[in-house]
Amino acid sequence: MIRRTILKLLGLYQKVFTLLSYGSCRYYPTCSEYAKWRIEKDNLLIAFIAVVLRILRCNQLFAGGIDYPVIKKELENIKYKKIDVRYWLVPKGGSKFILIKNFKGN
Amino acid sequence: MLEKMSTNQRVILATVLSLLIFVVYDYFFIPKQPPKLNETNTTKQIAQSAPAPKADLQAPQRQTSAVGEHTGKLGSATLLHIKSKRFEMFIDDLGRIHQVILEEKRYKTESGEQIKLFDESKLPKPLELRFSDVALNEKAFKVPYTYHGPKSLDIDKKSDIVLTQNLGEEQVRKILSIYPDGHYEVRVKVKNGHKYFISPGYRPNVRVDGYTVHGALIKEKDGTITIIEDGDAKGTEIFNGAKIAAAFDRYYTTLFYDFTEGMNVVVSKDAEENPILFIQGSPELKVGGYVGPKEYETLKAIHPELTDVIEYGFFTFIAKPMFKALLALYHWIGNWGWAIVVLTIIIRIILFPLTLKGMLSMQKLKDLAPKIKEIQQKYKGDPQKMNAHMMQLYKKYKVNPMGGCLPMLIQIPIFFAIYRVLLNAIELKGAPWILWITDLSSKDPYYVLPILMGITMFIHQKITPTTITDPMQKKIFTYLPIVFTFFFLTFPAGLTLYWFTNNILSIIQQLIVNKIFEAKKAAQKEQHE
Repeated sequence: MIRRTILKLLGLYQKVFTLLSYGSCRYYPTCSEYAKWRIEKDNLLIAFIAVVLRILRCNQLFAGGIDYPVIKKELENIKYKKIDVRYWLVPKGGSKFILIKNFKGN
Repeated sequence: MLEKMSTNQRVILATVLSLLIFVVYDYFFIPKQPPKLNETNTTKQIAQSAPAPKADLQAPQRQTSAVGEHTGKLGSATLLHIKSKRFEMFIDDLGRIHQVILEEKRYKTESGEQIKLFDESKLPKPLELRFSDVALNEKAFKVPYTYHGPKSLDIDKKSDIVLTQNLGEEQVRKILSIYPDGHYEVRVKVKNGHKYFISPGYRPNVRVDGYTVHGALIKEKDGTITIIEDGDAKGTEIFNGAKIAAAFDRYYTTLFYDFTEGMNVVVSKDAEENPILFIQGSPELKVGGYVGPKEYETLKAIHPELTDVIEYGFFTFIAKPMFKALLALYHWIGNWGWAIVVLTIIIRIILFPLTLKGMLSMQKLKDLAPKIKEIQQKYKGDPQKMNAHMMQLYKKYKVNPMGGCLPMLIQIPIFFAIYRVLLNAIELKGAPWILWITDLSSKDPYYVLPILMGITMFIHQKITPTTITDPMQKKIFTYLPIVFTFFFLTFPAGLTLYWFTNNILSIIQQLIVNKIFEAKKAAQKEQHE
């Protein structure tokens, strides 16, 4: 519920605010996109902290560039059938994964 | 294309949007009563016969019933007149503070009269006492208080006054110690221990408008602050052990405080759903109080925690330090307008390393223009992919033209904080800058500052290198200063001054960067030749 509301608000922000200030972010994915992914796929509190840190990093003192969210996840209930790929989880050792959204899907 | 805009342009755009949201919010959500600037309170609303405030203090099923009807007879005669350098206070024959007139020069209405804090028809008045026992309460509003001593008091230090009321089955003594700065201590002794409530009074009714918060504020034991805005009072709410109970309008307040024992505060509502404050009495009650303007330093001198009564709304957490910084600068410079200018410069200096980096990066980017164009053409319909490739390019050449989200987002709270400080800090009411600006908290009467602001913004746009090629974008940019000018027409002059100073600084900065870059280019050319 909270998750969905935040995602909606972020979507609204992206549509309205970013319409004009589009491309102000030094990173890929942009801060707002990063927030969306995190909130969708991560623990809310951790997501929140990560997003705040990301925004704080998003200024000229940092190089910027490509910075995907890294999340912790235990893989379970793996179904071997045809699925819609929403996110790619790139293993990063341990239970950590780099989260990359699949824009071609859905 | 959008991603080629400079930091400043992005900041401007961000601000335009936030302003838009702000204006829309103002338009839709703030009650559309025309800002009543009834500085005088001469508006006698249906006088004393007004419906009695529903003081049904249902603190454990007790009823303090209608009181209003009786007040026509008593409560208008002045028992005592207290005068200090800062205020004149009238105590009526019901032992209440009937009216307070602010004596300082700056507290004048537009017609030149000294400001009267209270609306005579609004009840309860500060120090009004109501018994839970209905019959006793009715009696209490029929029997006048007695006071022995001079009818008129000039005070320059703490002065004690004793007011007594003999109700037969009950005797009330109010021992009042009044200080020249407007705060007081009151001890209430009720001989036979009848249950009663006492009020810090209905809020001052001097500056009540749709732009700022007015109503009641309660600071609880644990430090949480609850604000009940006028029109939002739900009925009886109880706060036990509260530190502060204040009723306030934009600039003025009447409050009770007790930082040691705490007070049991009961909030009821009147016919307009405005909150009415009472605190629960005891046979020997002792509380502090204050009536007057919400001046930071006055309140701080009484007790530092009292400054919490100065409320800036949602952005308090940033507006408060902003005000403190402004106050420090004001003490140093002696003019609020210049204090704003200096504060703007300081903020710019803090942010300068960021802006400089951004500007230099922007200039470097010009050399990469053909490569960028290539990417843009290649991934025309896929902004996400285009972004990713763009990032790779930036990384390769170690440039990043983007200002980043932080500098953009940080500007918004700063802007709002200054706005709130200008609206809510009494110190800035009637504070002049130079020449025609006589009040930084209200709009520029001749619209000179907004127009100057628009012009400087236009100049800044002209001298900032951009690589915008999209005609639509270009158009938006050209009209931006005009839109901004209109936005700022009615804004407080201090805010326009902030933005104007900001623009001037941006222009200076840009000119310097342009110069440096030209010099570099010239040097490079010479090397080549």
